[in-house]
Parts: sequence; structure tokens; C-alpha cells
Amino acid sequence: MVDNAKLKDVAKEVISREDVRLLIGYRPGTYGFRARPAFVENSDQVDELIFSPACVSNLSSYLTLEEKTPLPRGVEPDLRKVAVMVKGCDSRALVQQLVEKAYDREHILVLGIPCRGVVDMAKVENRFPGVISGEIAMEGDNLVFSFDGKEETVPKEELLAEKCKRCRYPTPLISDLLLDDEVERFADDDYSDITAMEGKSTEEKWAFWEEQFSRCIRCYSCRNVCPMCYCEDCVLDRLKPVWARRSVDISENTVYHISRAYHLAGRCIQCGECERVCPVDIPLMLLNRKFYRDVEELYDYEPGIKVEEKPLLSTFSVDDKEDFIL
Amino acid sequence: MAEETREGFEPNIVAFLCNWCSYAGADLAGTSRIQYPSNVRVIRVMCTGRVNPLFVMNALQQGADGVLVSGCHPGDCHYMQGNYYARRRFTLMRNFLEYLGVDPARVRMSWVSASEGSKWKEVIEEVVEGVKAVGPMDQFKRRQLNW
Repeated sequence: MVDNAKLKDVAKEVISREDVRLLIGYRPGTYGFRARPAFVENSDQVDELIFSPACVSNLSSYLTLEEKTPLPRGVEPDLRKVAVMVKGCDSRALVQQLVEKAYDREHILVLGIPCRGVVDMAKVENRFPGVISGEIAMEGDNLVFSFDGKEETVPKEELLAEKCKRCRYPTPLISDLLLDDEVERFADDDYSDITAMEGKSTEEKWAFWEEQFSRCIRCYSCRNVCPMCYCEDCVLDRLKPVWARRSVDISENTVYHISRAYHLAGRCIQCGECERVCPVDIPLMLLNRKFYRDVEELYDYEPGIKVEEKPLLSTFSVDDKEDFIL
Repeated sequence: MAEETREGFEPNIVAFLCNWCSYAGADLAGTSRIQYPSNVRVIRVMCTGRVNPLFVMNALQQGADGVLVSGCHPGDCHYMQGNYYARRRFTLMRNFLEYLGVDPARVRMSWVSASEGSKWKEVIEEVVEGVKAVGPMDQFKRRQLNW
């Protein structure tokens, strides 16, 4: 795991650079074991920065979330770099954003964190209910929880986030500075959940999804947190035409979820943020991963791997499969 | 109840046809007096590449029981590549709808050229038969609310 003292040194050095205006990292949260994003603008603030298995959120979303207000006449835009700390999965979001030319490569400075996995906060809170403040560290294959003056060690498999159990790229795929030694791939994805779902009958599938979608309250958190959902004019907000009406019923909810998932086809990099933020626990990754696997099987394409790659749906191959076409 | 509605059920099929091949093919079927089921409602688009996969979802939501997207054969596209892009999009959309529990018989794609009036008839017959077999679309159809 990354040494926090080293992380602070690197962060101090980076934020002191002339060409860096902002550093996005993690700092301890205000409740329980949580960590939250930190936005560091000068070197006094770096002392709060940490990295621990509690740092679950994907910071690459913030690069596109920043509001670009119109500038007064005669004022030059601030084109200095934004430094961002990314884990392996998050770095793929950066790669995919660069594939889509969301911004220029020279406008960001990537601080890569080779990662051995982060926790699932829901599981942690189940295991240690009511902890007001505590810290998590990783030692080998164990997670060490320190709170209320005591320490508890738990094997990491028990509390690791689902996405980490099938992580293929623990070391960031792009980085300007790597904060630790590279981590070897320790897991792989067998898509067993998708295969199990596909094995059901049409009625069973719909019964399952109807139950899931009918719980959706349309808070749009999954869209807002997604690093790949950065369109300025989202198809789901558009009033002309209205693709999904605002009413919360099974029809509109299904349409919302189809549109959201379809727009991530060949783009979702499986950071799992949508599922994490969902207040009603809809298994959104089951939708995204269906596309992920289809794309991998049919077109041998994995999003977020190479910056030079073209987006999947803006390319084609003459030999694409077409066995369903009449 | 379901059996009753399925008896004598006439599906609504929305067909998105490309201007240059399939629309002309359907036109040829008409001028050649070929009889085919009248369940299909045609929407002419300039190219299958114009058809957003969300059109399919929207048609199913608004009361279509099946959707057909038809265009030029690969390599014959008036715009050179439009149908290749469409093919990728629809493969993914169809697989996804199947995954959600929408019967794949409802979402069909075909290549019909301007000279294939008789193929158009066969395509329509197969699509209508398929949709009749799976019955009315009731999964995420927009329901009229009585407030």
C-alpha cells in the first residue's frame, strides 16, 4: 500500500509546481471509516491527504464536472494542469475520457496509485456498526481497522468491494508519477454473474428487472457520479425530444436504465461508482457488465486500455457478426 | 386472459426502412402486388445509420409490439458505411433487451435491397409470426394513467 508520508511529499512537490493549479486526492471523511475527496490548491493543505482502502471514490469524474464559466473579456483562461490521484480502475476512466477527447492530455497530471483493492463501505459498516471514527490500513492480505483505541484484523476477501475481486488492472494504465511499486494482477473476471443471469428464462429475467427498476427513485446519482457521463446536454435531460418522461413508473424507469446503460456500451470501465452511490441498491453493474462482456466477446474490445484506440461505436469491421439479421 | 388476448392478436410492428434499399424494396413489393401482412407501419429514414437504438426502445414503450430495422446489404449502403455502424449498435441493443427479458423476436433487423420485393414479404411474414408467438408487448409499455 502507498506510504502516506511519501504521498504527502509527492503531493507537496506537485502542487508547488508552476504549471499545476489543483490537486485532487483523498482525505479522511467525517464519519466512520470513510474517506472523501480533497481539493488541494496550495501546499499548506497537503497534510490532510491520505490513501487507504477506504478511498473508494473515482476522482476522475471531477475532471469533467468542473464548471467552465465564461471569462470576462481580456482574461486568459487558466490552462494549468489539474493533478489527480487515480487507482488502477480510475485510470481507465481517464484513458477512456482521453480516447473520447474530453480534454487534452497535457491538461492533466496523473498521480498513479497501484492499488490492492478498496473496501465496500456497506460491508464495513455491517461488520463494525456504529463506529464514529476509525482508520483502515492494508497489511499484506489483511485489512487492519483501528478505532476506539483498538485494532482488528480482517482478511481482505471478506470486505473487499466486488469490483476489486475481479480487477484486471490494479496498476494505473497511464500515470505521470507512480506513487508505489507496480502491483501484479491478483484477480480476473469470469462474468459468472452475467452468465447466470443470461441462463434464466425471459419471464424470470423480466421479473427480476421489473422488481429492480420499480424501486428506482430517479435521483440520477448513477449518471452524475459516472466518469463517462459528462455530456453537457444529457439525452435524459433533453426536452426536445423527451426520451424518458419524468414520472417515476416502471415504463419510464426502464427506459431510463436502458438509455443510461446503452450510452455506456463500449465505454464503461467498471469502476462500480454507479452501483455504490445507488440509494436503493439497484445492481447497475449487472447492466453495464453485460455490455462490457458483449463488447469483449463480439468485437474483442476493452474500453479504457489504450489512449490511441478509437471509440467502439464510431468504428466498425466488415466482418462483424450478423447471425441474427434476416 | 392472456390466452384470450393472444387469440386473434394483431401486432403493431414499427419498421424503420432506409430510403435507398428497403423502402424501395417494400415499394416494389407493393407495385408487384405481393401480398404481405398489414401489421407493419413504415417509417422512412435516410439510412439505418440514422436509427438511434433509442428509437427501438421508444417504439416499444409507445405501444409497438415489435420493431424492425431494415437497410441495404453490407457493402451496398448509399452512404458507404451507415449500415455497418447500425449493425454494431443493434447487435448490442438486441442482446441487451434480451438480457432484460424482452423477447428477441420483437427486435429484428434485416437487409432488403431495392430489388427484393419478395424477400420483403418473407421478412415481414417471419417478423409478424414471431411477434404473434410472443404476444402483446406489456413489459415497459407506457400505460395511460387515469388521474
